[in-house]
Amino acid sequence: MLRDFVKNIGYDDPLEASLSKIEGLLLSDYRISKRSVALLILQEDPDISEAVRNRESAESAKEIFAIAGELKTHYSYPLTYIITERRQREASRISSAATTVTKKGSLGIREAVSSAMMNPFIGGPILLAVMYYGLYKFVGNFGAGVLVDFLEDKVFDHYLNPLVAGLVDKYVPWAMLGDLIAGDYGVVTLGFRYAFAIIMPIVATFFLAFAVIEDSGYLPRLAMLVDQIFKKIGLSGRAVIPLVLGLGCSTMATMVTRTLPTKRERIIATLLLALAIPCSAQMGVILALLESRPLGLIVWLSVIMGVFLVVGYLASKIMPGELPSFYMEIPPLRFPQVSNVLRKTASRMKWYFLEVLPLFMFASVLIWIGKITGIFGFFVRILEHPVRWIGLPSEASVAFLFGFFRRDYGAAGLYDLKTEGLLTGNQLVVACVTLTLFLPCIAQLLMNIKERGMKIGIAMSAFILFFSFSIGWTVSILLSISGLSL
Amino acid sequence: MVKQEKEDKKSVVPLSDLQPGGKGQIAYLQAKGKSQMQKLLSIGVIPGMHVVLVQRFPSYVFKLGHTQFAIDKELARSVYVKITK
Repeated sequence: MLRDFVKNIGYDDPLEASLSKIEGLLLSDYRISKRSVALLILQEDPDISEAVRNRESAESAKEIFAIAGELKTHYSYPLTYIITERRQREASRISSAATTVTKKGSLGIREAVSSAMMNPFIGGPILLAVMYYGLYKFVGNFGAGVLVDFLEDKVFDHYLNPLVAGLVDKYVPWAMLGDLIAGDYGVVTLGFRYAFAIIMPIVATFFLAFAVIEDSGYLPRLAMLVDQIFKKIGLSGRAVIPLVLGLGCSTMATMVTRTLPTKRERIIATLLLALAIPCSAQMGVILALLESRPLGLIVWLSVIMGVFLVVGYLASKIMPGELPSFYMEIPPLRFPQVSNVLRKTASRMKWYFLEVLPLFMFASVLIWIGKITGIFGFFVRILEHPVRWIGLPSEASVAFLFGFFRRDYGAAGLYDLKTEGLLTGNQLVVACVTLTLFLPCIAQLLMNIKERGMKIGIAMSAFILFFSFSIGWTVSILLSISGLSL
Repeated sequence: MVKQEKEDKKSVVPLSDLQPGGKGQIAYLQAKGKSQMQKLLSIGVIPGMHVVLVQRFPSYVFKLGHTQFAIDKELARSVYVKITK
């Protein structure tokens, strides 16, 4: 019957005929043209199909889907395929009529660099070089070293903290409130100081380095290089982008996992970010803790990488769902453009200050409340048990609790223990491993819950809490059996 | 499969069978699922387009129009191309 109708209209093209028939049946407003809606229906777009079912009368909805179903029988391929092919044909026609292709100029060097980056043998050393200069030298030495020293020692310790402490002494009569502002863990002395003097320079240099790398077109090349390895841990090469970003700020990276196509990939990436990807602030302190112990650094790195691969592998075996597939455009390499780099860095910094900074302030307040109510002391005493199991002095438990509020607080707490000479090399390595794996900072925990839902967010955190101490315990036992002294 | 495609079968191979530098015109797609097909279509892998394979390992890289794409083996196997010189 429908077939007759198509013929009656006089089109020789059943697709065009079905389109106008469907357009005629659509009565609601979808904010896009009826033709677009009709095209989406034919392509079986789930959202539009749902909307049509809800908004049109049952009768017309039925007829619309009948037309779409009937049209399918005309073609041996899905309609998406047919529609895309026609669009492509038209686009090619327009573009060939409007453009002329000239012989390209000297792209020699660029192509050589590009293929070197995509070469499995040369690509590895290039990655190491990018990591070494971009991360270690620029973010580690310059950001976490030079800039942090300047802001902490000069700006905060010499100028801001005494000034605030003086003002508080003078004008805030209530000691507890004074503590909240300028005490050891006060909002200004701790919250602001950590946010502006420690985290900001590290995150800013990281975002700058990341923007340069991003703008050059390196990341898609890295993605194609690691795709086969990433498939083993349930991810596609595309996931390398949030994971590398996680080395800067894992909280932001968790948000960026939205770009991954399947739920399965998003969950695995979120877990790995929370567990085995240390953020830049944390890495800065860990590098400082293991400064003169290259062997310790190697053990730390191997354990973390081992955990990353094993947990990823197991997660990919356990998690149900569609296997990832990898497809990505490889844009031409180019010299990073200053305006792009600055714009990207600025927008990430803005996000950081708006989204993460308030959480840091909030954490300071929580620590203050926890201290005056004694809840904090209670949790510290509970944590002392697992801390002792992994062979650390009970004093380290404070560092671990702080680690939950902000991962770098925890690491910085350990730094104090180190300078007091309370930790041996082996203990330092165990502490660094456990702290890296330990619960994400409160900002990341909240982001996990926001992005993955309450159930998965909480389950993940419980797993990480248990798992980090188990690995810390294992490493400490292995180290003492082997008799190694790091 | 359409008749003409069957006739061309000998010179039509999966993209994954081309050697680096090998050229072809996309003949048809034979993706496992609808979403695989959708992915290929979304990057412009459409019958009639010309491709040049650039690299096979660790991922398949090919030129398509004025851009380059990287895809995994699974996807490369589902793109059938008619070899051209």
